[in-house]
Amino acid sequence: MSGTTEAIRAENVVKTFGTITALAGVSLAVNWGETLGILGDNGAGKSTLIKILTGYHQPDSGHIFVDGRPVQLASVDDARALGIECVYQDLALVNGLSIYHNMFLNRELLHGGPLRLLNHREMRRRAAEALAEIGVDIPSVEVEAGALSGGQRQAIAVARAVYSKARILLLDEPLAAMGAREARLIIELIERLRPRGDIAIVMIAHNYAQTLEICDRVVLMQHGEITFESEAAATSAEELLEIVRREYRAVRTG
Amino acid sequence: MSRDAAQAGRHDGLTRRAYGLLLRPEASVVVVSAALIIYFELANQNFLTNANIQTLSQFVAAPVIIACGEIMLLICREIDLSVGQVFALAPFLMENVHDFGLPVPLAILAALAACALIGLIIGLITIGLRVPSFITTLGMLFLITGLTLTISRGYPANTAGGPLLTGIMGVWAYSEIVWALVIVAIMHVVLRHTRWGLHTVAIGGNIIAAAEAGIAINRIKIGNFVLTSTLGGLTGLLEAFRVGSIDPLAGGSNIMFLGVASGVIGGTAIAGGAGTIIGGLVGGIMLGVLQDGFTLQGINAFTFDIVIGAAILIAMIANIHLARLRGGGPA
Repeated sequence: MSGTTEAIRAENVVKTFGTITALAGVSLAVNWGETLGILGDNGAGKSTLIKILTGYHQPDSGHIFVDGRPVQLASVDDARALGIECVYQDLALVNGLSIYHNMFLNRELLHGGPLRLLNHREMRRRAAEALAEIGVDIPSVEVEAGALSGGQRQAIAVARAVYSKARILLLDEPLAAMGAREARLIIELIERLRPRGDIAIVMIAHNYAQTLEICDRVVLMQHGEITFESEAAATSAEELLEIVRREYRAVRTG
Repeated sequence: MSRDAAQAGRHDGLTRRAYGLLLRPEASVVVVSAALIIYFELANQNFLTNANIQTLSQFVAAPVIIACGEIMLLICREIDLSVGQVFALAPFLMENVHDFGLPVPLAILAALAACALIGLIIGLITIGLRVPSFITTLGMLFLITGLTLTISRGYPANTAGGPLLTGIMGVWAYSEIVWALVIVAIMHVVLRHTRWGLHTVAIGGNIIAAAEAGIAINRIKIGNFVLTSTLGGLTGLLEAFRVGSIDPLAGGSNIMFLGVASGVIGGTAIAGGAGTIIGGLVGGIMLGVLQDGFTLQGINAFTFDIVIGAAILIAMIANIHLARLRGGGPA
């Protein structure tokens, strides 16, 4: 952890895809030890923002700061090198690969020596350990990811990010495709990470009540802009709904 | 965990592994191949003689080496239709470079380097210009055929080289199958025990997940094109040395399809994301046994094609349903 309290900050980030403006100048900041929730409708630009913060997309204009220093996130590797790690909405596991291969994808453990062969045994051991540590119950880490439930996949994806020593954890709909029990598991995991104080979490969500419960602060995104920002304790699901409703009425009355 | 529980767990693991092994596509192909070998041996006493095993090994070797490349490409959702033309071109490149005064070993390396370059060009066109590899390599198929015919002026040529070199490169009866087995062993390790292989599977299984994990997708795909063309060239050289003459119409689409079929029969998914090199070996052996067995039986080449087609269909159907049994979803 550095001297600054600010983990990551985006300033006036703009991103267009052809004629579609996904982000029309978005600014936000998250501190170490803080969990920020991003709420908004489909197409509001939440996923685009996350993909920019993780280096998957590059912004057309705007700046990103990590630890208060300006950074260029030209690739996922760039972001990773800064400790930014993402769990995507499309549940980024490879079906044909085992759980432990998925957990170590592109970060594989290798045997020493010039051949640089994969150390399957060590990856199996550490994957099982990491999953047990956060209470993910899987019969064997050799099971192919394709055989898992949506919730199990998500839990593994979160475990992978946490295990990779992410300092800035980006979660895209972490509770979607989850049963209540598995959602609880992820919520508890996030709540366990917060007191450490050295991790900043940005999560995208649809469920206002759940988001207010988990997050310290929430922002509301509408048509590529942040239209509302508040401490979670200072607002309510009703207030957030009212803002969105006002928007609908405005559209209807033109 | 108590020792008993640990042992029970290990026992469960072993049972699960044994069960999983039986459900693997390669296993069914091994069973079918064994049945075919028994049938041909009973039907024709000459099948398991030394002379015929030599012939059989020569039938098997070339498609298996080609399959090693095609399997890597198929797993990452690409294909190379032009590898059989590279097969024909490589020996002429070697001869031409040799005629310029380069010793044969260096001429072999130069030919292989040129084949690698062809693979690189295919990869750059496919990835850089976003042309489906099916189309890129279809174009290359005709282009390279024309190139080979131009270089050779349509005439066959003889291979050069001393007895030791030509022996290693194919004149010794078992040299080609030894090459094939060594390449199979190396490629099996590459696919199962290196990051390159794991990333190839990841790209074919879920290209978005692979990109999100930061895998260098283009580098891996282009690398596999280079690998396939180089192996195609090497196979062409081995066959040329074995036969002792170079034919501008050698190889071609036939050897390419035999390679692809070996992989597919051995369980490589045409849709990518799954496949094994060992599967390609047993698939190639099965096709070789069929081809050789029918030749001994005196069944003509037309019937052979019908049987090959049927065998590929049956193997595909079996693989799709075995994949469902394994719980891996649609293959």
